[in-house]
Amino acid sequence: MTYAHGIHEAPKTFISKYIISFDHKVIAKQFLWYGIFFLGVGGMMALLIRWTLAYPGEAFPILGSLLFPHTNGVVPPDTYAMLFTLHGTIMIFYAITPILIGAFGNFCIPLMIGARDMAFPMLNMLSFWFAFLSGLVLLASLFIPYGGAAGGWTSYPTLSTLIGSPGAGQTLWCLAIFILGISSTMGAVNYITTVISFRAPGMGYFDMPLTVWGLWLTAILNAIFLPVLGAGVMLLIFDRVFGTHFFLAGAAATSGTGDPVLFQHVFWIFGHPEVYILILPAWGVVSDLLSFFSRKPAFGAKATALSMTTITILSTVVYGHHMFTTQMSPLLTQTFMTLTMTISIPSAIFFANWLGTIWRGSIRFHSPMLFSLGIVFVFGLGGLTGLYLGTVSTDLYLHDTYFVVGHFHYTMAASVLLGGFAGTYFWFPKMFGKMMNETLAKIHFWGSMVGLNGIFFGMLLVGYAGMHRRLYNPFVYEFMKDMTSINTMITISALIMGAFQLVFVYNFLHTLIKGKPVTDNNPWEVGTLEWTIPSPAPHYNFKEIPTVKCGPHELGNPNLKNGRDFQYQTEELVEA
Amino acid sequence: MLKKMIGILFVTFVVTQSSAFAGFWAGAVPPEIISTNGHEIDNLFMYTTWLNIVYFILVCAGLFGFSYLYWYKRSPKAYYTYGNKKEHLVVTMIIGAAVFLSIDLNITRMSNDDMINEFWKFPDASKEEVIQIEVLAQQWMWNFRYAGVDGKFNTADDVLSNHDLRIPVGKKVEFRISSKDVIHSLYFPNARLKADAIPGRITRLWFQPTKTGEFDIACAEMCGTHHYLMKAKLRVETEEDYKLWLGEAERLALAGNDVDNLDNYWGWKWEEQ
Ligand SMILES: [Cu+2]
Ligand SMILES: [Cu+2]
Repeated sequence: MTYAHGIHEAPKTFISKYIISFDHKVIAKQFLWYGIFFLGVGGMMALLIRWTLAYPGEAFPILGSLLFPHTNGVVPPDTYAMLFTLHGTIMIFYAITPILIGAFGNFCIPLMIGARDMAFPMLNMLSFWFAFLSGLVLLASLFIPYGGAAGGWTSYPTLSTLIGSPGAGQTLWCLAIFILGISSTMGAVNYITTVISFRAPGMGYFDMPLTVWGLWLTAILNAIFLPVLGAGVMLLIFDRVFGTHFFLAGAAATSGTGDPVLFQHVFWIFGHPEVYILILPAWGVVSDLLSFFSRKPAFGAKATALSMTTITILSTVVYGHHMFTTQMSPLLTQTFMTLTMTISIPSAIFFANWLGTIWRGSIRFHSPMLFSLGIVFVFGLGGLTGLYLGTVSTDLYLHDTYFVVGHFHYTMAASVLLGGFAGTYFWFPKMFGKMMNETLAKIHFWGSMVGLNGIFFGMLLVGYAGMHRRLYNPFVYEFMKDMTSINTMITISALIMGAFQLVFVYNFLHTLIKGKPVTDNNPWEVGTLEWTIPSPAPHYNFKEIPTVKCGPHELGNPNLKNGRDFQYQTEELVEA
Repeated sequence: MLKKMIGILFVTFVVTQSSAFAGFWAGAVPPEIISTNGHEIDNLFMYTTWLNIVYFILVCAGLFGFSYLYWYKRSPKAYYTYGNKKEHLVVTMIIGAAVFLSIDLNITRMSNDDMINEFWKFPDASKEEVIQIEVLAQQWMWNFRYAGVDGKFNTADDVLSNHDLRIPVGKKVEFRISSKDVIHSLYFPNARLKADAIPGRITRLWFQPTKTGEFDIACAEMCGTHHYLMKAKLRVETEEDYKLWLGEAERLALAGNDVDNLDNYWGWKWEEQ
């Protein structure tokens, strides 16, 4: 395929190079810094929440008296509500989305499909700066009278209307999400177009690395469903600012009546696909890395790609499982339950393929591989615990308990976070031309695994015992008095988790500043297109647009004669 | 002597540690079941758990087993395959089908049966005695309403109570639930049930208590700053005690309800559904 894609000069000024940049690699790094910053903010919030749950009424050590001088360092109840609301919002929209989609999407898609940049560089630049603006609006909402939004990240009306949330915090929250929706939609349109029209000559869809598959499917879901969320929060802004009654009912609806449940439908039509928006890139990365570090082709790569596509489609028709307790009609309930269960089939298939990939491999346990294997473990737990919430009767008990919190943290937090780290360790040399320290990376991995599982398995346990969510002090209830020790264990695990992230931050910054440039352009010895060019990738990526002659996972072919155990995608396939 | 001391120390250590351990696991035990059908939910939970354990063990066997066996030093040459041979596809398909047939279809059927035979099977007041109670949630309080002497809801003689719900043991109780302000969720941990309380809508719930005693009622849906304090007491009483209490409450209601206070008429007509 030929296309007119002019090469212009590399930018020279600081602003055009690092601030208003049109280069997908720079925008990727902008998103990475942005995401890591918010990951830190959201993580600190998690620690404050966990501290309150384990030691209610006790001052948060060191920082507490600075943050909450009026209560001598104890987190007050209204602040607690703000904390869990913003923890969820920030982690989903401002940490995971920018890292997995903003950073890796931008960085990997053009490099892995052999393109010089994204299809719409201007849109790409705007996408980051809209995200930046959105972040500012969200942070600003913390410093106004009544503080930020405090109705949960789901912001169900009527709690999120003026009835339950006075002040401008919730309005600014809606506005921030709306602006972020614009940003993500611009990014998504860009990714979809780039994958469709900028693949290097010779690269069919099944010659794309599975990372690109994951990112592409994510972009499709984003483009379809973020506008739905945008519409929802816009209507909520109307209810709050212009006195409409879309989501008001009962005594509060003074003129005509709306329905608060309507918002839940709109929210979860977006919200369920959102789970897959976050996890698909991680699945793609795992599928590739397992193959690269097992030194053999991805097992059933086509089936994996098709399973991911099937899940993408199914994810659009199961959202009702979030609303069983609102009591939809039995027929609707049964339908959503059954459809939800069908997701097991494609999930089981790619799980089998992941294990098939490492089966009879020649496994090198470098840090990206450890993180990928970690994902298989935690996503296994996350997926299986979803079953209890998909069946209506058990959901009647478990809905809104910590079981749900544990389940979605296993899928969305643990798996996606590990995926983000796997990607960071793997592509760091391509991004910055330096290698992160392997020993520190492995310490980071094991520490995180202990922390993560302590936290989220603990949550499953107390959730099964009936502890419900978003409680400032659970121990006012008789039936939760026994749960003190598990809650303390969860909090200690969270502190461990937090401490080990400092190892990552140190490793990241130290390598960036003091690390030696890599001498090897292809330290992991893999054949996808980004490794055919120097590290870090030069301004326009490929001097000449490569021609693709084989798949992305050509490893371990016994007939290779060139002293390598892998082939570049630009090389003619050696018949086995 | 030394041996003995070490022995005593060891035993003490084991006993204290295991009791601390037992205390730890006590936090993972659901509250006691006080309804006729609550165990259906626990049973399905355990059934799913056993199957999950089987499959998770398989995943771990693959994950750790292959990681051990195929470490590059033990397995210097990888097996070059795309995993797209006929036998590979067959195995993958079998795994997909096995998971779906053994777990998903089973638990869906069981859950559906439980819903149809128990939780959706509301008692018929024309055929049996049903205790009917209307519930209004508000920030941050649970209001309960009994029909009173005339048997009709939202009339001057209704028995009103907040934070305190009394029901007789052994009788089916049906709740109709709504909310005054924001969305709440009426949660009976001991009956394993909850139903959202939604402004402008009426949701419903029923169970039949099997044990007398005092239990927690909670609000499970985030409803504002004091969400965590929105609790009520459930008192399951013997039929005599309940009748005694209700009679007294009805007498007091007739004598003492403020007939002109419109706030007291938050109820609605109880209709067959
Ligand atoms: Cu969902
Ligand atoms: Cu409530």
